[in-house]
Amino acid sequence: MDLFLQLLANGLINGSHYALLGLGFGLIFSTTRIVHFAYGPIVTFAAYTAWLISGSMGLPLIVGIAGAVLVAALLGTGSYLTLYRALERNGAPPLIPLIASLGLTIVLENLVGVLFGTGVRTLDVDSSVHFLGPVFFTSIHVWQVVSFVVIAVALGAFLRRTRYGRAILAMTDDPEMARVIGIDTLKVSIIVFALGSAISAVPAVMVLLKDGASTHMGFAAVFMGFVAVIVGGVGSLRGAIAGGYLVGLVESLGLWQIPTEWQGSISFVVLFLMIMLRPQGLFSMARK
Amino acid sequence: MTQPILETRGLVAGYGKKQAIHGIDLSLTKGETLLVLGHNGAGKTTLMRAIFGLNAPMAGTVHYATRDITGRNPAINVAEGIAFVPQGHGIFPSLTVRDNLELGAFVEPSSERARKHLEDVYDMFPILKDRAGQVAGTFSGGQKQMLAIGMALMHGPSVLILDEPSIGLAPNLVGRVMESIAEIKARFDASIVIVEQNIKYSLPIADRVMVLKTGGVVYAGDPEPLHDHAKLIEFF
Repeated sequence: MDLFLQLLANGLINGSHYALLGLGFGLIFSTTRIVHFAYGPIVTFAAYTAWLISGSMGLPLIVGIAGAVLVAALLGTGSYLTLYRALERNGAPPLIPLIASLGLTIVLENLVGVLFGTGVRTLDVDSSVHFLGPVFFTSIHVWQVVSFVVIAVALGAFLRRTRYGRAILAMTDDPEMARVIGIDTLKVSIIVFALGSAISAVPAVMVLLKDGASTHMGFAAVFMGFVAVIVGGVGSLRGAIAGGYLVGLVESLGLWQIPTEWQGSISFVVLFLMIMLRPQGLFSMARK
Repeated sequence: MTQPILETRGLVAGYGKKQAIHGIDLSLTKGETLLVLGHNGAGKTTLMRAIFGLNAPMAGTVHYATRDITGRNPAINVAEGIAFVPQGHGIFPSLTVRDNLELGAFVEPSSERARKHLEDVYDMFPILKDRAGQVAGTFSGGQKQMLAIGMALMHGPSVLILDEPSIGLAPNLVGRVMESIAEIKARFDASIVIVEQNIKYSLPIADRVMVLKTGGVVYAGDPEPLHDHAKLIEFF
């Protein structure tokens, strides 16, 4: 029973991490319909930026996080304005931005290596262990869960209560109708690329604190974000959250019966099962 | 002669390299209801989308209130008083009725005026007020059409363009929708362009008619001659 509770806690912690990655990726994908695989190396850039500021330069972690958020937002916006926007203007079919995104992923990954080196970068922070009955967790785990809750609540309030938040919801529902009612969809696309990328900087810093930053860490980030969105249902941010937690829990609880070397494959299995059994995802938007 | 509020000159538009309309002249004077008739593929929707800015014209001009708005971003057109109700229920299906109506006022800078428009829309379509919290995608076809028209009125447009508002509706609902369009002119002081295939219901509310065939204008003038069945057959 103690093992089950520990795996459950691990699942919720990892689920918070995946849900946050899913929120950032899903915000961009659902609103613009662009499969932004370059989200991965932007996560890597954010982690290395935080290391540069707080590790190499020795500034407080909060400054490192702010720098990571800023760099991620700028890179996200830059990707849209320099690459995807040009393809949209030329009426490129959906496959073209996808391929362009893969190309951008390679360029940015290499750029990380050139700018920061290819070694793993770590940051020493307080990672004291806490116990709750038989379950243990570290301070970083607490930060992972708290950062997810804070960002999810803030994003929800932004989407429901602000003018451009509602414009994002409208564009997610129907981009052409959004144009028909006078929403400037270019401005909305820029906002979601900035916001979604900024969100990704937070789980990036958490990975830096927990395991250290490496040049290929972005692949796992974009993959888990993608799985969370597909499992939860494209177009639904609630779905991305549910998808992230489902994958986190299945991946962790699966270890109860499955050898640890198979843990990495569990998210693939969840993705394949969902595509086969419920391709619209858990919370797909009801479209007529 | 009265200056038209909306005018196209030699408008050419289409999809890719293929032209769907070939040099259309259209004019709408203030307070007028212009009915645009034509079969499927006649170019009616392409004409409306090109006027509104959703499709970039290949040639020709569009003027609104004497200003050249050819190919302009629809967001600016809406902000300056043009509303477009696209074919097939222009709503956000996963949002509530109230959210849809509030989004209709996206370009309205005054919250007071937006509230007034909302009251007017509720007054005109009481069912929208009764079901304000309902998800719009669960509405029937007629209710969706009322919501789409209501959304278009939320920023108090000077020109309202409706693309086949009767499509897919039961005959009794078509009559109700046409009545509401006639009511809009009186209540909202809007000039209206309505694209239709349903001649029986739309002809009585028209001040002037334009008939399109294979991307060109085959008739433009008073609606009276079109009440003559033989004349209609000649045009269609």
